[in-house]
Amino acid sequence: MPLMPPPATPRLPRPREGRRRFGGLFAALVALALPAFAIADTAAVVTDHARPGFAAFATAAEALAAVDSCAPDDLRPAFQAAWDAWTGVAHLSLGPAEDGGRGLAVLFWPDPKGAGWKAQRALLAAGPADLTPETMAGLSVAARGLPALERLLYPAEPLAADPCPLIRATARDMARTAQDLARDWQGFGDLLLSAGQPGNTRFLSPAEATQALFTQLVSGLESLADRRIGRPLGSFDKPRPDLAEARAAGRSQRNILLSLIALRDLAQKLSPDSPQTLAAFDRAIALAETLHDPDLSGIAQPAGRLKLDILQQAVRATRDSAIAEIGPALGVGLGFNALDGD
Amino acid sequence: MRLLTAFALSTGLASAALAATPAEVTQTYADIALAAYQDSLTTAKALQAAVAALIASPSEATLQAARQAWLAARVPYQQTEAFRFGNPIVDDWEGRVNAWPLDEGLIDYVAGDYGNEENALARLNVIATPKFTLSGIEIDATQITPALIRDTLHEADGIEANVASGYHAIEFLLWGQDLNGTGPGAGARPYTDYLQGEGCTGGNCDRRAAYLQAATDLLVADLQEMVGNWQEGGPARAAVTRDPQAGLLAMLTGMGSLSYGELAGERMKLGLMLNDPEEEHDCFSDNTHNSHYFDGVGIRNVYLGRYLRLDGSVVEGFALADLVAAADPAVDAQLKAELEASVAALGAVKAAADGGLAYDQMLAPGNAQGEELIMAAVNALVTQTASIERAVTALGLSKVTFEGSDSLDNPNAVFQ
Repeated sequence: MPLMPPPATPRLPRPREGRRRFGGLFAALVALALPAFAIADTAAVVTDHARPGFAAFATAAEALAAVDSCAPDDLRPAFQAAWDAWTGVAHLSLGPAEDGGRGLAVLFWPDPKGAGWKAQRALLAAGPADLTPETMAGLSVAARGLPALERLLYPAEPLAADPCPLIRATARDMARTAQDLARDWQGFGDLLLSAGQPGNTRFLSPAEATQALFTQLVSGLESLADRRIGRPLGSFDKPRPDLAEARAAGRSQRNILLSLIALRDLAQKLSPDSPQTLAAFDRAIALAETLHDPDLSGIAQPAGRLKLDILQQAVRATRDSAIAEIGPALGVGLGFNALDGD
Repeated sequence: MRLLTAFALSTGLASAALAATPAEVTQTYADIALAAYQDSLTTAKALQAAVAALIASPSEATLQAARQAWLAARVPYQQTEAFRFGNPIVDDWEGRVNAWPLDEGLIDYVAGDYGNEENALARLNVIATPKFTLSGIEIDATQITPALIRDTLHEADGIEANVASGYHAIEFLLWGQDLNGTGPGAGARPYTDYLQGEGCTGGNCDRRAAYLQAATDLLVADLQEMVGNWQEGGPARAAVTRDPQAGLLAMLTGMGSLSYGELAGERMKLGLMLNDPEEEHDCFSDNTHNSHYFDGVGIRNVYLGRYLRLDGSVVEGFALADLVAAADPAVDAQLKAELEASVAALGAVKAAADGGLAYDQMLAPGNAQGEELIMAAVNALVTQTASIERAVTALGLSKVTFEGSDSLDNPNAVFQ
């Protein structure tokens, strides 16, 4: 089967100018009254980054579920578009994505013990009778979401049974999850926006909402460096291109690049005046664009591995810049994140 | 009268607050760490004796006694897990004693369908294989020694799932694989796996006994080392007492990281989302409910500055709670209540398991009661994490500076 090339790399979003929030005199008065912290633009993150991002994923997932064909060639463009959309919001693992493990149900990776394929083989063997939306929602997250669809649309070996009912059920289940995420970001966004107001027990002050978003930025960069890049990078003697994410779909490099673009957008919305961090992002993005290694096969060779190694360092440097520049500027520390236990 | 009471209350608060200093609080912290590692060492030595008795005269009784000793050893050890994150000297060492999850097929025989696509050694079975090749190097494993386990087998090939040492390797050798999935029952290794000569089951009973003894000896040595780290003049104690502000941050980092990323996330919620009994922390022995519960107790110990020792005595002193109460009484009150709530929720999981609903059964797809019990504990742990962050803020600490702190990233830097 011919590999469907991923869509062309999107152009970088143009950096948005920081909003002018106050007139000159008023700004001077505020500066006298408040500590000298920049005001985090939580509203921009919610309304211009998170909500449209999750809405776009819901639209893309619905478009995939609506494809009236089971031929991989017909499904792959919509599948690639859905993964693109998810990469725009995958780093927002707090709130709706954490509730009910929805983020894991969209993307459970890595899966070192192959739990997903094991469960899917059993589903294929059992036949279509049990594939209701309810049973899909109750399955192990390893058997759901994007990697599960990838195994059916880009199979490593010919599938023993007709995958059509399972493809449809998995795509439908993911579309429902995506819709729930977009819906719940309305309420959760309101919680972020009303931080510190009476009745908001989740965020007791605006700084708590800022800290939560700042923590997502930093943990997103850590996850990118340690997992998406770090796992295939392996050691110098033993690079592991076989452990790259989304390899069968030929989008390992693309996921790295789109993650960086999404995280840059978050950083820039959260704290527009962050020249060092944004410059570090731009350097990492340029390196990710010039890997020319869609499924990271090239890292089996020392020269290819070196390029990925340099990219990992650039991502870590971006994280360090964000910690050094954005945290102090916004007057917040780093919160705990889901990777702390690793 | 009302005024007088209010005045008395406020001076009471103020004097309690004035009494505690960061230096005194970190002193209590180090004292609790020392006591908890000493108790861990004591129970590990009892395990070592029980293992020796099992090997000397294998029987159902000696196997059960060794299993009981292992279970007892987990009680103090799990309470030390709150010291792991935030203290690099503990975190760097922890992988030797409590690494999990493991590809147990590295060590001994396993059932047919076991495997791990990322780990070529997942079915090595060292006990059955005295000589083998590892990363191109011939390994002579005819003598199974603590050094072989520590230096050659543990994390072989750079793969973390190659867990050759620690509590869970010993657990596997005492219980064997739990092949019941999400159904009732733990691992069922027969004592005859240790019978020397005729009657030996599983093959290579001599090498299995040697492995079990060596792994247990190694655990005792590793715990001895950690006790030394927390004694007067020890580097772990020095790291948190020399700079009390860094020590306070280590305390809160340990509480928050264990609460959220590790216990609520990796160990509880993920297993539930995967419905996978192998994602159970003490999966061979079905002791996970106790491991989780005593993790929760350990987090509370750090905040309240109080540890109940094995012998019934109490180690206590000036507490982190005193400092937080002085800085922000509302945060302290909320965090205290939330710590009680998480211990209660973990206690409910423990009570259900003690009552016959094992932790792996709770993970079964469609087990609404199990899901409810686990998620109640997960939610309580996530909730308290937010208040731990508030305590960090209330004390004027910052994980940002912590992240970049040379002394905490590199424990040796403190002593240069």
